[in-house]
Amino acid sequence: MSLLLSSRKWKDLSLLFPICLFLGIFFLIPLVILLIKSVTVPSFGLGNFYELLATSTYIKILGNTFLVATLVTVFAVLLGFPLAWCITLFPKGWGRFLLNVVLLSMWTSLLARTYSWLVLLQSSGVLNKILMGIGLIDQPLELVHNLSGVIIGMTYIMIPFVVLPLQASMSTIDPMVLQAASICGASARSVFFKIFIPLCKPGIFSGALMVFVMSLGYYVTPALLGGVSNMMLPEFIVQQIQNFLNWGVASASASILIAVTLVIFYIYLKVQSDSPTSSNKGS
Amino acid sequence: MTTQQSSAPLVTLKLLNKEYGRFTAVNKINLEIQQGEFLTFLGSSGSGKSTTLSMIAGFETPTSGEILLHNKSLINVPSHKRGIGMVFQHYSLFPHMSVRDNIGFPLDIRKTPKAERNKKVDDILKLVQLEDFAERPPTLLSGGQKQRVAIARALVYEPEILLMDEPLGALDKKLREDLQDELRQIHKRLGITIIYVTHDQDEAMRLSERIAIFKEGEIVGLGSGRNLYDSPPNAFVASFLGNSNFIKVRAVSTSEAQFEQQTLKFREQTTPIKTQADILLMVRPENLHVLSEQQAEQEPLTVEMNQIAATVEETVFLGESYTCSVVTESGQRLMSKYISKDHCEIAAGTDIVVRWNVNHTNVYDQWKQSDITKA
Repeated sequence: MSLLLSSRKWKDLSLLFPICLFLGIFFLIPLVILLIKSVTVPSFGLGNFYELLATSTYIKILGNTFLVATLVTVFAVLLGFPLAWCITLFPKGWGRFLLNVVLLSMWTSLLARTYSWLVLLQSSGVLNKILMGIGLIDQPLELVHNLSGVIIGMTYIMIPFVVLPLQASMSTIDPMVLQAASICGASARSVFFKIFIPLCKPGIFSGALMVFVMSLGYYVTPALLGGVSNMMLPEFIVQQIQNFLNWGVASASASILIAVTLVIFYIYLKVQSDSPTSSNKGS
Repeated sequence: MTTQQSSAPLVTLKLLNKEYGRFTAVNKINLEIQQGEFLTFLGSSGSGKSTTLSMIAGFETPTSGEILLHNKSLINVPSHKRGIGMVFQHYSLFPHMSVRDNIGFPLDIRKTPKAERNKKVDDILKLVQLEDFAERPPTLLSGGQKQRVAIARALVYEPEILLMDEPLGALDKKLREDLQDELRQIHKRLGITIIYVTHDQDEAMRLSERIAIFKEGEIVGLGSGRNLYDSPPNAFVASFLGNSNFIKVRAVSTSEAQFEQQTLKFREQTTPIKTQADILLMVRPENLHVLSEQQAEQEPLTVEMNQIAATVEETVFLGESYTCSVVTESGQRLMSKYISKDHCEIAAGTDIVVRWNVNHTNVYDQWKQSDITKA
């Protein structure tokens, strides 16, 4: 009986073989090669890491990368939260419509959307022209090729990644629970902070994690909307490889990025474990 | 105390009205709820009972009318300031808090000192017999346990009024009856005013001191269960509560009517029945006695008894009782219910007579066909 069960288990596991093969060849092996390069090119040892961490430019780029990722995460959550709530609350048809608008923007070409922001934000762009037209400003605002350009563009691109998990966790909240809190004596404010936000926590966390991690490794938007003075890590890696063929330093940077991502993911799993949807639910 | 209670109701609903567009959910109802009473709103779905409860809780705003608590208007008081406790059909516990914190929530909101808060929570946990479950999350409780937590959460801050919206509707029959008994005990011990909503008439009978029967946004019957059952104010209440036999007849005087070849007597009504009016007589099945022709000869008909000749159509054994359906000459079908241990089964096709006491006859001169045909 147990033999039968275990042989069945193996049969089920064999279904994983194709994807393991695929990921092994096209993800794991290149990744390992990359990691190895970081300690072997041009010579064996941790030289690349020492060089990186001793360079103030690199530290600045690393700091900037985290700053951008943090700001984008905060703005995307702040803007995505009310949007997700509207999608959940609106009558069925309108909620779906709103969700489709979000999805449609996600499905449009990234490059097209990023260039659109360039058109909108540049000094002779639509936004500046309107603001100057109504006399709000005399000189065009510098909205692109700097930090604000990157933040605006990336926040917009990341919003769907917050809205989708957040909306999923909001739609599982029973509105009667909020009424129950209110009749227990909780003001609208208390209901929001003591009941609603904690119940949205799984959605906020997974949305924020996704945005933060994706932002750390984002290339296209920062490259187009950012400036030289606030380069992000992925741009640095590209520059090292394309301009200087410096594979060792590039690999070391990438390794640091991967390590940081793993640490953040670990923290996320730790924090997440006390929420109602985590794995300890059924214990 | 008693006189004071009857003079100053705890809650008063005055011409309370709620419209959704052109649909009237609650139609200008008036109701006085006394301190300490257990009142049930009974009605089918869409009768306006839950909407009325929601208005008392403050979740719905009345289109017009007044809700008074201690003679002060509640209309502009938000629900979190009404000091009312409420238990919901689907428990509505806070899934991210333990049982203890769920129950402590209303006290935490009121910033009750820690020691007092913990004592109150412990006391109420004991009252609902959940001491052993205090640290669990509500997701790990059974339906009955969840509802007990919900009741504890609603009682812990000692509200004057407890609203219950079909709280036992999602539980199975046995558990429901246990919790009904528990609830009655809690009501007796705490003396709290309870307004209870249900569509289950047995539950209403079992629990409440007074029942308000809702139909299409109006209260069509109000009184004790016994009162409403024995002398329903109208044909709808008669048909809605329990089983009933309706006989359509024509009045020949203020206390007599003609049915087939027989004269049926009924009590004089406060507004006298007009001669030649079509009226409806209602007799409960347990008040309708079936006698064989021999028995009928042996027991002469007394003055306060009515009698109709009929034929047995079918007798069904239900354990403690039999139900016997009989048909008269003109096709009027009547149902009789009698205790099985005193009687034996009557074969189908037997000619019999049915008798009932004049005092067990209710008379209605106005009704709608839909009132007496059960959906």
